Amino acid sequence: MGFRNLGLLGSFAKEGLEKAFSLGKFFCFLHVTDTYLVTFVVTSGPSMLPTIDLIPTMFLGERISTRFGKVTRGDIVIIRSPQNPRKLIAKRLAGMEDDTVTYISNPDEPDKQETIVVPKGHVWIQGDNAYKSNDSRNFGAVPYGLIQHRLFWRVWPIKGFGPFWKH
Amino acid sequence: MKLVSYMSQWRGIAKEAMDRTAIAVKFLCCLHITDTYFCSPTHVYGPSMLPTLNMVGDIVLVEHVSQRLGKVRHGDLVVIRSPLDPKRCLTKRIMGMEGDTVTYFDPMLGDATRVAVVPKGHVWIQGDNIFASHDSRHFGPVPYGLIQGKVFFRVWPLDCLGVPGQ
Repeated sequence: MGFRNLGLLGSFAKEGLEKAFSLGKFFCFLHVTDTYLVTFVVTSGPSMLPTIDLIPTMFLGERISTRFGKVTRGDIVIIRSPQNPRKLIAKRLAGMEDDTVTYISNPDEPDKQETIVVPKGHVWIQGDNAYKSNDSRNFGAVPYGLIQHRLFWRVWPIKGFGPFWKH
Repeated sequence: MKLVSYMSQWRGIAKEAMDRTAIAVKFLCCLHITDTYFCSPTHVYGPSMLPTLNMVGDIVLVEHVSQRLGKVRHGDLVVIRSPLDPKRCLTKRIMGMEGDTVTYFDPMLGDATRVAVVPKGHVWIQGDNIFASHDSRHFGPVPYGLIQGKVFFRVWPLDCLGVPGQ
């Protein structure tokens, strides 16, 4: 009697393990797509107004151009914050390496402009909302290696659904 | 008549090819997950970490768990993406965490020691061989987010098997 129960348990365990393996394989596939191709990204906050709204907005972000170095000035990217490595921030690339960037460090004084050359291997990021954005004007140029995704399609809210480049 | 038999043969072959490819893809996905999240082997070379790591090249195991959990500390050997060239990875030792005051010595700029404070979210990296290393003494502190993993074991050459020395 005991042996029969053991047999049943064995078959349950085997089935459970098989299901777990299928799930594992599925997650591996999902993860590889996420890391190398395309993933969903949710942004929130006022620093990219009026391009990106305040409310949580979902985008598709791709990693192919970032890996091959094909992101350019004007692209909106997700980048790991140099001040807090656990935070991801969405900003616009205002300058690539070796560019000369002229910016206004304090929007209340539009006449005080500063110029800086972006060092090699770095990029200059700026939020579209100059008043409410913590970006390269505060913490300087950031290394290119911190760029995670490039946003190229808006998914949610539905009325904004569509391509999201050349803004 | 012959066409139909050819097509059915093709279907069998195509199905078998798809099955084999699916197995290969699943295996590669699992390998990739292990590589990215747990442990991966890396070939490191160059003179900047003498005498800890050899110049001609070592194969070391790098684990990717500690940096995600924020457990990387002063004195750890890490693999970090270069701030000057995003396609290259460097292997250096962490000599200062955020908020630390680092005192360093650059033999190429004379005998004076200099002092730097590591800003928030950044680390200070240095190679063990200060005479032949291009590191934070030249390009400043680097953001923590560039750390890829921590070196914890050396597997090649075989007579240096083990934890790389302090």
